[in-house]
Amino acid sequence: MITSFLAKALGRNIVITVAILLALAALVPALNLLTAPDHPLHVPTYIVSLFGKYLTYALLALALDLVWGFCGILSLGHAAFFALGGYAMGMYLMRQIGARGSYGNPLLPDFMVFLNWKELPWFWQGFDMFWFAALMAVLVPGLLAFVFGWFAFRSRVNGVYLSIITQAMTFALLLAFFRNDMGFGGNNGLTDFKDILGFNIQSNGTRSALFAASAIALALSLVVTSGIVRSKYGKILVGVRDAESRTRFLGYRVEHMKLFAFVVSAMMAGVAGALYVPQVGIINPGEFEPANSIEVVIWTAVGGRGTLIGPIVGAILVNGGKSVFTAAFPEFWLFALGGLFVLVTLFLPRGIVGTARQFFERRKEYRKAKAVEEARAFAAAEPQAAE
Amino acid sequence: MNTLVSNAKPSSILYLDGVSVSFDGFKALNALSFVIEPGELRAIIGPNGAGKTTMMDIITGKTRPDSGEVFFKGTIDLTQKDEAEIAQLGIGRKFQKPTVFESHTVWDNLELALNRKRGVFSTLFYRLTAGDKARIEEILSTVRLMNRKDDLAANLSHGQKQWLEIGMLLAQEPELLLVDEPVAGMTDAETAETAILLKEIAKTRSVVVVEHDMGFIRDLGVKVTCLAEGSVLAEGSIDFVSADQKVIENYLGR
Amino acid sequence: MHTRLIHRFLQCLLVALCLMATDLRAADDLRSMVNALGGGSFQQNQKQIEALAKTGDPKIVPALEALAEGDLYLRKADGIVFIVRPAGANFRLIDALTGDDLGEEAKAGLEKVKVNNGLRRTIRGALGGLTLMSPDVNVRLQAAGTILRTPTADALDGLEIALAAETDGAVKAVLEKARAAAILVSDRPVEEKKAAVATVVQTGGRDSLSLLSGALASADESLRPDIEAGIRQIEDQLSLWAGAQNIWYGLSLGSVLLLAAIGLAITFGVMGIINMAHGEMVMLGAYTTFVVQAYIRAAWPGLFEWSLAIALPLAFLVTGAVGLVMERGIIRFLYGRPLETLLATWGVSLILQQAVRSIFGPTNQEVANPSWMSGAFELGGLTVTWNRMWIIVFSLAVFAFLLFLLKKTPMGLQMRAVTQNRRMASSMGIRTPWVDALTFALGSGIAGIAGVALSQIDNVSPNLGQGYIIDSFMVVVFGGVGNLWGTLVGAFTLGILNKVLEPYAGAVLGKILVLVLIILFIQKRPRGLFALKGRAVEA
Repeated sequence: MITSFLAKALGRNIVITVAILLALAALVPALNLLTAPDHPLHVPTYIVSLFGKYLTYALLALALDLVWGFCGILSLGHAAFFALGGYAMGMYLMRQIGARGSYGNPLLPDFMVFLNWKELPWFWQGFDMFWFAALMAVLVPGLLAFVFGWFAFRSRVNGVYLSIITQAMTFALLLAFFRNDMGFGGNNGLTDFKDILGFNIQSNGTRSALFAASAIALALSLVVTSGIVRSKYGKILVGVRDAESRTRFLGYRVEHMKLFAFVVSAMMAGVAGALYVPQVGIINPGEFEPANSIEVVIWTAVGGRGTLIGPIVGAILVNGGKSVFTAAFPEFWLFALGGLFVLVTLFLPRGIVGTARQFFERRKEYRKAKAVEEARAFAAAEPQAAE
Repeated sequence: MNTLVSNAKPSSILYLDGVSVSFDGFKALNALSFVIEPGELRAIIGPNGAGKTTMMDIITGKTRPDSGEVFFKGTIDLTQKDEAEIAQLGIGRKFQKPTVFESHTVWDNLELALNRKRGVFSTLFYRLTAGDKARIEEILSTVRLMNRKDDLAANLSHGQKQWLEIGMLLAQEPELLLVDEPVAGMTDAETAETAILLKEIAKTRSVVVVEHDMGFIRDLGVKVTCLAEGSVLAEGSIDFVSADQKVIENYLGR
Repeated sequence: MHTRLIHRFLQCLLVALCLMATDLRAADDLRSMVNALGGGSFQQNQKQIEALAKTGDPKIVPALEALAEGDLYLRKADGIVFIVRPAGANFRLIDALTGDDLGEEAKAGLEKVKVNNGLRRTIRGALGGLTLMSPDVNVRLQAAGTILRTPTADALDGLEIALAAETDGAVKAVLEKARAAAILVSDRPVEEKKAAVATVVQTGGRDSLSLLSGALASADESLRPDIEAGIRQIEDQLSLWAGAQNIWYGLSLGSVLLLAAIGLAITFGVMGIINMAHGEMVMLGAYTTFVVQAYIRAAWPGLFEWSLAIALPLAFLVTGAVGLVMERGIIRFLYGRPLETLLATWGVSLILQQAVRSIFGPTNQEVANPSWMSGAFELGGLTVTWNRMWIIVFSLAVFAFLLFLLKKTPMGLQMRAVTQNRRMASSMGIRTPWVDALTFALGSGIAGIAGVALSQIDNVSPNLGQGYIIDSFMVVVFGGVGNLWGTLVGAFTLGILNKVLEPYAGAVLGKILVLVLIILFIQKRPRGLFALKGRAVEA
């Protein structure tokens, strides 16, 4: 069962991409740790962290692509799942600080001491254990997606309506996490992390390990996503995207189909968030901004939605562009991003990867059609000759 | 209540009695009653707005009736079920506009339509068995699409899409097939072939065909129900119905 | 029997003597009484001040005020008392009663009339009574208010005299309440106190509440139930007014939402276009107002009161033009692809924000209220600010205008025709592309107009629009797409709901609750409050 799932998952492009990701996971840390800083092949630590961050973005984009590209659900709230995963990891990292905080309280994070709280709230229990935090980073986004999706898909909230209420969802969470009473550090969020699993979070080794973990997580997610979309279930998802009522009249429970994809996607986004937070060193309510979710959409669109490699390419290209742009001409970045939205939707609706693929397929088809035509001409010529 | 109709309930495959539905005050169906027997091929005609599509929406669970009974196989109340449940019970529906999965191949379209377990996990780990393969191939040859099985459905001609959709319905193995205007936009040759195909299908299951094309209905040569303004105007053989004064006034014209 | 008669006689005699004495004193020359302040001890002066107060003559007010301030001096040479103002090395003498300037005098020849805190208190009490008799209504009102805030049993006599003489209704009301307050702290009989409680309760308000709770502490058993009932009654009244005030705030928020959403009701509701740059249209309208005001200030300051009226059509034209360009340049290529439209217009919104930021800077711009938009008035227990008031009126006017435009004009007819059946409309000779463009421009223009109004109550910054976009979509979706009335009802429902929840849940949590409620509502009724129903919609 699993083997057939995997066999289908591992198409040629997927194998190549996974291989690249795994190679990067080994190579980049090696070049960072084992070469001298003045070595021509040395990868500086800030680059490791920067690209580690891009990889988590790529994972987020891949998660969005599963629901948007393959199922037609344009979620404008995926940053919320990402941020929830991030907060789960942030809570673990906060509790690792222990007595090293400014107030030196062994149990309570600084912001709680500052708010004059006397004991740890119940929802902070257990986050001193890594495995628990990691589990929550997946389960909490998954649960939110399940509850939200259960209601939304069952009532057949579709298209732009769904987009708008997902946006409202992340907006509501944004407002909620801004409140100090929520117990997540309010405006400032969670920061000043010291170490993760006992390793200094600032050290080169930890940064390299986090990069490798991001690359491996992305590779794994790619395989899983590929398996999903190439299975019969994945074909049904595409069917839901293209002709929802036909799927329904074939006897499929469209709401279950959508719900599964939505939950899996939210969980992947949660993993991405959990990997993102230790690499950037902070998580605050700003991550819930509706604008963030929409930005994820443009990464996916640039790379090519409905393809698996596209969102990864798109996330890395757009964010790389953003890093370069904001350093060189900061005031023009929003012009560039805005222009990207307009141009991609108008002129590149399939994205880079989708367009390239279309080009190759067209060429193949053209050749095939030509061959068929020649054969037909030949066949047509023959009876005439017989007459 | 129509006693003739209610007596027929236990033995029927499809049973509608006094079904009414209105949209914003417009009565799309007005106390519609009729019965389809098992194995029957029935043609339904009627002018635009007579309620033909709404009737199909109600049978397949897309629309809930305001009042009236809809029973499948005499005992199953269809008004309490949704589209997926009704499809799983064995009622297939072909839309007016051919609706196939355009970005899938012809083969995949049929594979998705096969009457197998339809849950998330059973589809996620589904493997094509030899039996399923044979079944798909059989349907492919029935709907004459064998040579196009690897093409995207989007690249099919209009008539081929109609056939693919009929093929998908066959794969679904329904006991009752609802077919909405199957020959709209087809060439005469295709129309004739479609009539043969439907008659073939009707040998093993009940079929309800909604159609405008009187020639096609004559080809089918079956019992005809004429709808107008949401209820049955006349029922009987094509000759009987087309001789009916009300039908002529409402639909055929003088 | 005899003793009782004698007793009564003596009593009568005593009262008569007292009355005579008062009369005699009242007949005394005020001046000699004021002059007497010069030599007296604190104790004597205390009596003297009380005597002065009894005259009830407002002429002595300046002298008493001066005494309290330490500005009252005795001329040692002749024992006359003056009010003095410092004038270099000398004092300027002012007649204590007439206020006439009597020239300068060396400091050495004058001696300060000493005053201590006890004396000052007596003076305050006396002044309160005196000012109650002032010919100036405002002075009387102020004096009555002062007593009301710190009622004493001593003030009671003065209050009752003043009350008998008072003719002005407003002053009389305050006096009555002050009298009731004073009675509550006096040793008057319980019946009178009960009546006083009733008087206080009747006037209501937060001050009555504190008055009664103050009285409750020292009240005896027989009075307590009355006071407690009174407190409850006032609290009920107050919470009623507070509720009304919340509903007013809700109406105000609703009008803001309506303004922000009404343009969207056309572009999204009627045309089905998801315009994420809608908020930026509002922002552009607000910036148009800013530019108009800046220009007017520089060129024709006299026109400032008209600045909003001038900005309205300009904002409509500016944002309408931007909308027209957007529709022709981008949106028309994306019809039938709502999700793509959403993304492209989001891109436009980023560009517009950054453009405004680059031109005007990222900080808030100052947009002033014309005088008729500023200030507030009281309505019962409500405080109503003029700008909010006018914005409610304005939002309803815009709504009525749009409704008229859509339902009664040929242009509206064409718009509805195109949105309902494009092909049919086009075959009937309607130029559908232009109708699309104009409809979108209209929706954008309305957003610009909304921006003019919102510039009056919100910060005008490049982020202005961002704050409105989610709320506007919520309103339109909640109200039911394609239905202007739905937008109206949706806006005011959400506005009032928000403000009614706020006191219980706090502003942020209230907003979250509203969002969650809307999300749940959309699940229940995916097409909003006033949904269109039927086959065409479901397909």
